[in-house]
Amino acid sequence: MSEATAVSIQNLSKSFDEIEVLRDVDLMVNKGEVVTILGSSGSGKSTLLRCINWLEQPDRGIIKIAGQRIGVTDGGKPMSMRELAKVRARTGMVFQSFNLWPHLNVLHNVTEAPIHVLGKSRSEAEAYAHELLDKVGMSHKAKAYPNTLSGGQKQRVAIARALAMRPEVMLFDEPTSALDPELVGEVLAVIKALSAEGYTMVIVTHEMTFARAVSDQVVFLEKGRIIERADPETFFTRPDTERVRKFLERNEG
Amino acid sequence: MNASAWNMLLEGAWVTLWISGVSIALGVVAGLLVALVRLAKIPIIDQLLVLYISLARATPLVTLTLFIFLSAPNFGIQLDRSVAGILALTINTTAFNAEIWRSAFGNFSREQREAAMAMGMTPWVMFRRIMFPQLTITSLPGLVNEMSFLIKGSPAIAVIGIVDLTRVTNRISAVTYEPLPPILVACVLYMAIIGCLVWLQRVAERRANRLAE
Amino acid sequence: MSNWEILWLERAQFIDGFISTLEIFGLSISVAFVIGCGMLYMLEGAKPRLEVPLRIFVDSMRMLPFLILVYLLYYGLPSFGIRLNAWWAGVGALAVYHGCYFAEIFRGVRQTFSPGQVEAARACGFNTGKMFLRLILPQIIMRARPLIGNQLIYALKDTAFLVIITVRELTAAANSLSGTYFIPTEAFVVVIGCYWLVSMSMELIIKQCGRFSAKRGFDNV
Repeated sequence: MSEATAVSIQNLSKSFDEIEVLRDVDLMVNKGEVVTILGSSGSGKSTLLRCINWLEQPDRGIIKIAGQRIGVTDGGKPMSMRELAKVRARTGMVFQSFNLWPHLNVLHNVTEAPIHVLGKSRSEAEAYAHELLDKVGMSHKAKAYPNTLSGGQKQRVAIARALAMRPEVMLFDEPTSALDPELVGEVLAVIKALSAEGYTMVIVTHEMTFARAVSDQVVFLEKGRIIERADPETFFTRPDTERVRKFLERNEG
Repeated sequence: MNASAWNMLLEGAWVTLWISGVSIALGVVAGLLVALVRLAKIPIIDQLLVLYISLARATPLVTLTLFIFLSAPNFGIQLDRSVAGILALTINTTAFNAEIWRSAFGNFSREQREAAMAMGMTPWVMFRRIMFPQLTITSLPGLVNEMSFLIKGSPAIAVIGIVDLTRVTNRISAVTYEPLPPILVACVLYMAIIGCLVWLQRVAERRANRLAE
Repeated sequence: MSNWEILWLERAQFIDGFISTLEIFGLSISVAFVIGCGMLYMLEGAKPRLEVPLRIFVDSMRMLPFLILVYLLYYGLPSFGIRLNAWWAGVGALAVYHGCYFAEIFRGVRQTFSPGQVEAARACGFNTGKMFLRLILPQIIMRARPLIGNQLIYALKDTAFLVIITVRELTAAANSLSGTYFIPTEAFVVVIGCYWLVSMSMELIIKQCGRFSAKRGFDNV
């Protein structure tokens, strides 16, 4: 594995009560690369993403974040919560339902983990937080509480919160699925801007146009297996499998 | 009523306030501890706590106060009256508070926890920084309501001779032979104390609702 | 002779106290229930002029300790020439105090009703009284039953306050026995057990009512 690999997944398998949701999944994400995971609902794409930061524990397989294995120590034992937290801190995750902390204002949502996980000083964390809030267009709401924000605004803050950890990889779990249609655009615009800046990202989404525009690599998951992977141009214009062709037809427009 | 009667009433109010205040503080913390231990679901200890909560909820405060004060010497402990009173109120309120805390824990969303874990928080940091502040806000209305109940139950400590705001009216009328005025003043004082708590509860409810949005 | 044997020999005192507590509880809670229903009826709009004073009365009661109301009736009323003995003062205080709580519980449940029901009943020609008795009250009672159950337990516990004005009930029995024989621990363990048993049975009965009510579809109106 080269220095340039941000995430590597080998032979990943996972079952929920006898039902296999992921089967022998392999995936490499290079630094600076944007990978989108597509698939119909129930294909296992969210589970795959949640395995990367061990929110779901896989049954088999090896996952490495920037060369560091997650979930299992070098000695082969399961990681303690403390060790796990350290590796997780190198990833940033954006959830479908935003999951901002309602008792903290926007600024403190962003500075909370840098201060209490990374041990940064408040002033340093706040300076960087303001920079990030500026980037997602939310600096004017720094003092607002999450319950006063629209869904799109919440998600932009959630993106800033994840970025504040200076993660090796950003994980997006259907970031626009819970949004009203008119708010989807502002969030996608922010993610697009990040991709242009060279952030490494793994994105689970249903937005085809967006996936085509932003991805370096598109992966299609079906019944827990990757049945197609290609650059976006190839994927969207001449896919290999009948299954993907059907999927694209149904999701056109 | 003369000046000394007023003084006595205020002293009685003070006794009610400080004994209740200490019991409330102890009961809120002890209730949290009981809730935490119950979350750990340790066999035997869990069943014992369930039994304790069930018994404490069914036992009248007067009975509990008498029981503690009278039977402590049997176990070689000499209890001061106020200590016995505080103990009885605390044992009672802890059981109710434990249930309030526990239901807040039970309703805490998995998403909030996942967001904290994904940011690399250890369980302890997550509890301290994310869970506990939110649990406090959601539990506060229930806890304040329970505080009102504690004040309303506090005259029970009069049964072991503590001169609280209720009992003091007897003392005054023993001198003045006019029982009604001191009782009415005591009523007004109780309403003022509990009125404050009711107001506090409304404020706490508004904050909790804002969090729940 | 062990302490427990003494208690067994003196069981008559416990039984008397227990029966006395149950009598006080049963009588006062029945009256309280009627008072609660009556207040609800008046708040329902039957007597508009009474509404504000009634709300003030209910809210004041809910801001007072039970014992101070007992004091008012027992020590205070004689100032107006009304002399109640300890037993009646206790029953009266319990009935009024918990009647107000019942009224508040009922009112809270009433507010969750849809106005459509009442309108439908009026359209069918029900008058206020009939509508209240046949339509509103049964639903409120069935839906409020967990809260009613809680209130019953509070009322049972409040009967113990009456020992302070020398009513001979269950806690008084334990108190006098522990004074006579110096066996407070055993005496109070028995008494606490009695309160616990009654509370548990009430909870059980309320739960059983819940099954009945679910069958009749009261819960998903």
